Amino acid sequence: MRNVLFFSKSATWLFVLVVVFSAADDVIGFTMHTNNWAVLVCTSRFWFNYRHMANTLSLYRTVKRLGIPDERIILMLADDMACNARNKYPAQVFNNENHKLNLYGDNVEVDYRGYEVTVENFMRVLTGRHENAVPRSKRLLSDEGSHILIYMTGHGGDEFLKFQDNEELQSHDLADAVKQMKEKKRFKELLIMVDTCQAATLFNQLSSPGVLAIGSSMKGENSYSHHLDSDVGVSVVDRFTYHTLAFFEKLNMYDNASLTSLFNSYNPRLLMSTAYYRTDLYERKLNEVPVTNFFGSVMETIHTDSAYRVFSRKRSKQFEATLEPSEENVAMSVGQKETDDPIIKEQQIACPFTRSINRIHQKMDKIPNPDSWLIYGLVLMVPMVAVSSWFSH
Amino acid sequence: MSRLQYLFLVIFLLFFVSKSKAKEELEAEEEFSEALLLRPLPDRKVLAHFHFQISVPPTQTYVRHHHLFPKSIYQLVQKFRIRELELSFTQGRWNYERWGGYDPISSSVAKPPGVELWAVFDVPKNQVDSSWKNLTHALSGLFCASINFLEDSTTYSSPEWTFRHSGNSLRYGTLPREAVCTENLTPWLKLLPCRDKAGLAALMDRPSIYRGSYHSQKLHITVKEYGAVESNSGIILQQTLSVVLQPPNLGIPSKSKLQPSWSLSSLFGREVSGKCILSKSSHVYIQFEQNLVSELKRLEEATKASNTEVLSSGFSSNNPSFELSVSPNRVIKEVASSDKGTSVLFEFSVDHYRDLKPFDLKLNWKLPASWSCEQAPFHVSRFLMGSGNERGAIAISLTSTGKNVYKQGATEGGVCHFRVNIFQFVPWYVKVYYHTLRIYTDEQLQPAEGLVEKMRVSPSEDKVSPGVMEMVLKLSCGVKTAALTLEFDKGFLHIDEYPPDANQGFDIPSALVNFADFQTKMHFVEDDSLENAPILSNLKETRPVLAYTEVLLVPLTTPDFSMPYNVITITCTVFALYFGSLLNALRRRIGEEERLLKDKERRKGPLTMLLSRLSAKLRGKPIEPPEPSSSSTSSHLVSRKLISKILLVAGVAAIWQFYLE
Repeated sequence: MRNVLFFSKSATWLFVLVVVFSAADDVIGFTMHTNNWAVLVCTSRFWFNYRHMANTLSLYRTVKRLGIPDERIILMLADDMACNARNKYPAQVFNNENHKLNLYGDNVEVDYRGYEVTVENFMRVLTGRHENAVPRSKRLLSDEGSHILIYMTGHGGDEFLKFQDNEELQSHDLADAVKQMKEKKRFKELLIMVDTCQAATLFNQLSSPGVLAIGSSMKGENSYSHHLDSDVGVSVVDRFTYHTLAFFEKLNMYDNASLTSLFNSYNPRLLMSTAYYRTDLYERKLNEVPVTNFFGSVMETIHTDSAYRVFSRKRSKQFEATLEPSEENVAMSVGQKETDDPIIKEQQIACPFTRSINRIHQKMDKIPNPDSWLIYGLVLMVPMVAVSSWFSH
Repeated sequence: MSRLQYLFLVIFLLFFVSKSKAKEELEAEEEFSEALLLRPLPDRKVLAHFHFQISVPPTQTYVRHHHLFPKSIYQLVQKFRIRELELSFTQGRWNYERWGGYDPISSSVAKPPGVELWAVFDVPKNQVDSSWKNLTHALSGLFCASINFLEDSTTYSSPEWTFRHSGNSLRYGTLPREAVCTENLTPWLKLLPCRDKAGLAALMDRPSIYRGSYHSQKLHITVKEYGAVESNSGIILQQTLSVVLQPPNLGIPSKSKLQPSWSLSSLFGREVSGKCILSKSSHVYIQFEQNLVSELKRLEEATKASNTEVLSSGFSSNNPSFELSVSPNRVIKEVASSDKGTSVLFEFSVDHYRDLKPFDLKLNWKLPASWSCEQAPFHVSRFLMGSGNERGAIAISLTSTGKNVYKQGATEGGVCHFRVNIFQFVPWYVKVYYHTLRIYTDEQLQPAEGLVEKMRVSPSEDKVSPGVMEMVLKLSCGVKTAALTLEFDKGFLHIDEYPPDANQGFDIPSALVNFADFQTKMHFVEDDSLENAPILSNLKETRPVLAYTEVLLVPLTTPDFSMPYNVITITCTVFALYFGSLLNALRRRIGEEERLLKDKERRKGPLTMLLSRLSAKLRGKPIEPPEPSSSSTSSHLVSRKLISKILLVAGVAAIWQFYLE
């Protein structure tokens, strides 16, 4: 009798559970953001590319400071700069002339270095197709709830990025890898940040949803280094990364600065190139997404009334609340962006020829009656032709 | 009934508890000890040798709870059934001539540049290679280095008797170009119970230790009593870091013969603020080598003679030639053995130092002392011969350091001999011809049969296995120099196999030369105090006298795509020259050209006419009268033609524009 009762009771429980399950499935429909990963790649070898390693290490330091632990950072450095024989400061890497901050620190963990930094290994890390023997620390063990930051720096060109001056990562390769990652549910959201010449072209082939891309320069533009350290003897940081860091240095883990404010912090005049953002694959509104979504490891905590009620989680409404003191900031900078647009356009191309052309255009604009100028010019051409023909015969 | 049951249960439990307690008591504890040995070197540098040891005693239990021993290493040992393993990361080259080659410290500190890994496995023979492969991957993840490149069968070998007598289960591999930096030290320090937060490891300021002339970081695992039961094994993990540092010059002119005075804070920029609380012993030693000790004794005698002051007999810390800022807890003197002098160790315990009263040992030199380190019987060097991209030769030369070798040499039939083991490992793309082996002693070519006692060669196989040579040379005791040469051809790699910086050249790993008849160890008086300091018992062990040679850099032909471009360019030029001149010769009409030239002459413009007339006047010559009428008409005609041409072009441009839009 008791047994039967127990059975029926458990059956009802089971039923309830199933109902809850299906309901939960309906309600959720998407996966929670549960963890953060970062893949930071310096693709350049040789001492004169010191700045690329400094770029990568600066980002490494930033994401570590904002809360991504070392085991969730895959750091790839193509050469050894810190203990390079040409480095006057052994075991130290600086990204600024003032040498206040040693990026190498006491606690750096490099996962792939030297000859291991190849396109093959990069693709393996992204897609997770490793040999069995490869240890966990060298794998990107992300899942469908992961937000991943991929940062790459090196020398590149139209739709490619050079690895070690030996092979290239093409935009198609990157797009395919990202697609595969999406299919394998290896990420929820992905931010690809690239600091190289013509970085924007690297994102041309991307087509997977949930991907956000930031490049340091448009097609046809170069990305320049920021400044030279005469003690180290080489340039120590690139402009785009320098200004990214300048933005992040003001933040801590609990700041709520949005991605829009990061994007607006890039001034083409200071960058000497136009930062490019590809946002069409990303569903959420950028001014509602805090930068710590990718650059930090800030999780949403969900309060539940009792323990183990996993299914009661509701659709997350995290950023409806306050968007920090910098909300006005964002609005202001958005407004500014519109007004600044022509200047930005002008600034887009920085090579000397186009600059002089631009200057001529400006001068032409100032002339009150351009048509008469044109007529005079044509009339002036007639005697010139006559004179020249007369001389030639 | 139930009460009785309870009683039984209680008794049962009690029994268990007591039993496990008894077992715990039986079980020895995991032990950790740390030590730092400092030794002044003759070339005004200082050797700092950190030694950390953690040991796990064998147990009967299957599940082990670790107090101090790093779990990652324990798992590694269990998984791959390692019997012994040594991994070293080295930057720079040990200078055998200046820093010594015939004492226990230098023979354990000196390592080849880059990464060296060897391991002995306790697995069936056919599984050794797969264990090795997995081990290299695991270690590469643990120590942030590209050790996984050693998984390739072309990068490791299994020396049979020159390296260590351990049958077929030993694997040995080196990566000569691996960079060594903070990222390798960080995980190594994380294996220590106190990391670098407390104890002697706190001295490891990264910039100061990587500034040194030589830097070697080593991890040695020894597994004892590896029984049938997997967990029934004791493990000793030794971690050493040796650095050769240049003490900063504190106001002493560099020309003075006085050795530079140094302190811990001037060497490392930090001080010791007490021991690691988990360590059983924590000591700092200053070692004076035997030659330095005899030099100091000589100086002491000299001052004694002049001062007539009676000093305490024997060697102590209050010597006229130097001064220690902290008086040593103990002075350990080596027991004089038959062939060597004695070295002296000053022991300092850091137990009672705290944050507010840090330990900063200082050594002040008062009198200039000069000495030289104890040398190995032969100085070994290796170099390349030949030139070009096709072939070359490797030469290993042994030069006597003037040491008396008659004592150690074995006498056979009245002739004194001693043995030299050589182990050389060559990548497959350097194809060594072993039949070209030539041996010279005292610059005389000798037949190899007389000198080579034993030799094992496994020739390289392209992209499969490296060339390995092991040999035992038997040299007579009076030999001053010996050299052996081997010729080789340079191979070609596949285009994908070249590293990104192939133009830099390829490395041949260091050869290992082992003076088998020479052994080195320190002799101490046996007492219990030595048991407390693993570094001392470590120094007491007998070690072979070893020397690693230089790494060789072999330039190979590198893929160069400028060559096809050059070929294309030169071919095109040749073709153009050939066809151009041929066409010129066939199609040229000289008469037509002359006619055209004359035509042009006639059609001169007025300005040129004027000029020619002027020049003629100046020269005083009559000029040919031109035809003004024709010229004027022609010029008129031409101008009309020109205008029509311009109109045509403009029309074409307009149509072009129209169509484009």
